[in-house]
Amino acid sequence: MDSSSSSQPEFDYLFKLLLIGDSGVGKSSLLLRFTSDSFDDLSPTIGVDFKVKMVTIGGKKLKLAIWDTAGQERFRTLTSSYYRGAQGIIMVYDVTRRETFSNLADVWAKEIDLYSTNQDCIKMLVGNKVDKESERVVTKKEGIDFAREYGCLFLECSAKTRVNVEQCFEELVLKILDTPSLLAEGSAGVERNIFKQKPPQADASTSSCC
Amino acid sequence: MVRGFVTANGMEKKRTSDEFEPGPIPPSQPVDRFGFIKQEQNSPDGITKSRPANEHEREERRIRKWRKMIGVGGSDWKHYVRRKPHVVKRRIRKGIPDCLRGLVWQLISGSRDLLLMNPGVYEQLVIYETSASELDIIRDISRTFPSHVFFQQRHGPGQRSLYNVLKAYSVYDRDVGYVQGMGFLAGLLLLYMSEEDAFWLLVALLKGAVHAPMEGLYLAGLPLVQQYLFQFEQLVKEHLPKLGQHFSEEMISPSMYASQWFITVFSYSFPFSLALRIWDVFLYEGVKVVFKVGLALLRFCHDGLIKLPFEKLIHALRNFPEDAMNPDTLLPLAFSIKVSKRLEELKQEYEKRNVASLQQTGSANRQQLAIKDKEFSIRPETSNCVPKDDSSR
Repeated sequence: MDSSSSSQPEFDYLFKLLLIGDSGVGKSSLLLRFTSDSFDDLSPTIGVDFKVKMVTIGGKKLKLAIWDTAGQERFRTLTSSYYRGAQGIIMVYDVTRRETFSNLADVWAKEIDLYSTNQDCIKMLVGNKVDKESERVVTKKEGIDFAREYGCLFLECSAKTRVNVEQCFEELVLKILDTPSLLAEGSAGVERNIFKQKPPQADASTSSCC
Repeated sequence: MVRGFVTANGMEKKRTSDEFEPGPIPPSQPVDRFGFIKQEQNSPDGITKSRPANEHEREERRIRKWRKMIGVGGSDWKHYVRRKPHVVKRRIRKGIPDCLRGLVWQLISGSRDLLLMNPGVYEQLVIYETSASELDIIRDISRTFPSHVFFQQRHGPGQRSLYNVLKAYSVYDRDVGYVQGMGFLAGLLLLYMSEEDAFWLLVALLKGAVHAPMEGLYLAGLPLVQQYLFQFEQLVKEHLPKLGQHFSEEMISPSMYASQWFITVFSYSFPFSLALRIWDVFLYEGVKVVFKVGLALLRFCHDGLIKLPFEKLIHALRNFPEDAMNPDTLLPLAFSIKVSKRLEELKQEYEKRNVASLQQTGSANRQQLAIKDKEFSIRPETSNCVPKDDSSR
């Protein structure tokens, strides 16, 4: 089925994306809706999960490698290494739970500063569960203000009703496509090691070792 | 006009006004022999449909043997184990009869003794104490074994028991509190015993009544997860060198697929029939069976895995084929792999490296790490005694 010897690359670019945010905000549901267009009762993520999706956005064939992380604080020792090399990071909160929004500034933005190795990495803020409009406690304006302050893209969505889910990924990817340094990292020619957890110093040392 | 959202199983979810009223009893659906709702109506499940008569008889004989070994209410158990430990080990490896499983688990884990020594303690923890983790627990209750009939009804007896056990534990051991993954342990136990029994079994495991304590899997920094992942990675390299090489070329680390094996002892995403058989052995022989089963899975799928590139590899390591997860083939393979001695050596090696690596990997982040709370430090207890000497390795 998959002949790796085929001369035509199966995609133009490969991007590594990361989903972060408090436990129960719907990171895994968002990913499941995006990759398989389904919605289900999901168990909490233990450690990390990983999914791949091929898309065509902006006329380019793209392969998206998406890491999904456990939201509970205790798991951060396992998830922190997955920030490395990500071209896009999606911060998710639940519009019906105030603390998941306030933790973005208190916790998640700091995590990105600490662990992301990519200066130009695109950040996207996503408010999930807009289907529960009557339970909403975080206004859209608050989301917009946060995004402006932290230099993120912003959307509100619902993994349950699929409203705006595709757009979340699409807008993020379009912005990555617009950023030359990220584009260079993700181009098919650079090989697939973009997936991998290579420590940044390792690249520099390869020439000197033999 | 606008109807409620229709979920995957065709039910309409209603919003109840009272948060703690039991939800509607879900309509009866076909379940497997463990009580999990079947994914497909017409799945070829030969076991339940036409179990051969001789197999049934053999099962009966097995149960009679076990009953004799246990005695009434477990009265002969300790005596039997002392006299014939190898018989007990062999029989447990073949699987504890399902109808006796709950009792035997309590006997082999040491939880029975804890229960008897601590009358009234569980009730005290459930009723009178409050836990900082209550909201976290509540949020995960409906996400734990959601496809099992016992846990399906919102605020039903299954969900209430699960909540009580987890809350009680989070009060009993405030350093551990509640960590996602513990719900699967508690849920699995609750299918075989009462709340109070399940609680004490959890205590026996985490505090180490019989084997090494498991609490390090859940404490801040998850120190024992880190150690187990290190040990497992080394064992893969030693037992399956080609695959180990392939993993390092593709930069696959065990944290990408094996964390949940250790944190939930295979109860998170493996077939229930396999999880139970692993738990039988786990409770009697300890955590080494988790390593053995992990290695056996990799060995069973070795030839396929070795050809896969990164992304397919990750998928395969999280979705093993059904024949690989058949307990009657996987477990004998697992038992044939010897790990005890190396595990001990690797543990010591890990402790040595641990000190050294903190000095290296921490250099970039050390300042920030120091400011943040101890949760962020991987090995807080060793962070003060880093030798500056590089030649120690």
